[in-house]
Amino acid sequence: MIERHDHHMRQRFEALRREDAAGGPSFQATVAAARARQTAAPGRRALQLAAVVVAVMAVVIVSTRRGRNGVGLDIDLATVRWHAPTDFLLNIPGDELLRSVPQLGLRGLDRRTL
Amino acid sequence: MAADLTAELEQLHTAAFGWALSCCGWDRPAAEDVLQASYLKLLDGRARFDGRSSFRTFVLGVIARTAREVRRRSALRRWLPLASLVFGPEAEDGRPDPATALARADETARLVRALGRLSARQREVLHLVFYEDLTIAEAAAIAGVSLGTARTHYERGKAALRKLLEEEPE
Repeated sequence: MIERHDHHMRQRFEALRREDAAGGPSFQATVAAARARQTAAPGRRALQLAAVVVAVMAVVIVSTRRGRNGVGLDIDLATVRWHAPTDFLLNIPGDELLRSVPQLGLRGLDRRTL
Repeated sequence: MAADLTAELEQLHTAAFGWALSCCGWDRPAAEDVLQASYLKLLDGRARFDGRSSFRTFVLGVIARTAREVRRRSALRRWLPLASLVFGPEAEDGRPDPATALARADETARLVRALGRLSARQREVLHLVFYEDLTIAEAAAIAGVSLGTARTHYERGKAALRKLLEEEPE
């Protein structure tokens, strides 16, 4: 049943192919038309090239203007000091006592503790 | 070498024109446009045959790609009116032109109408198998899909086409 359908479909396509072949342009005419089109194409090629150049120039102009207007951030790396997020772990209790020299006897000792 | 290529192309011309018609939804001016652009690519060496497939498969593949390029340009033209200055005048609207439609016999006109209602992939695979007498594997290579996908399009397309032809009034 399916094969009969396939055969029928193939016959339809063959009829279509015969019709297309009868009404189609010749190979020589197609190649000649293609060549004629090629000789007429340089004007269009120049337009395409011009469109590409204009697009590239527009991108360059927009990017340089953005830089001048300060939209992009200028960062002086020499002045930047980086802090690690875990720096606070290095701050131990009584850290300030370790960084200073004890001054004994200048402020007066509490005699009651002697 | 160029003479050999021309002779080989000439032998394939009828099949190539039929395939271009199918790729352009049986719009004859658009098909002629696509065929001319494809021949230029082949004769100028912009599309080179590397022997990985049969020459016939290669040529039909070039036509399919060119038709896709033309469709993309056509879509771009619809969005950008000035694009026609760059890409040239539009040749395709994706429908059979009235002259071609009138000249067709009833049976083939019904087939063309039914094919026009299938998805593009189903139409491509059915055309390549039934019209161009290619295998499903060759059709898959030209359509740029896997063999499994082509088989699915072939089976579903065949069933849908059979149904559409039965529904179409004689």
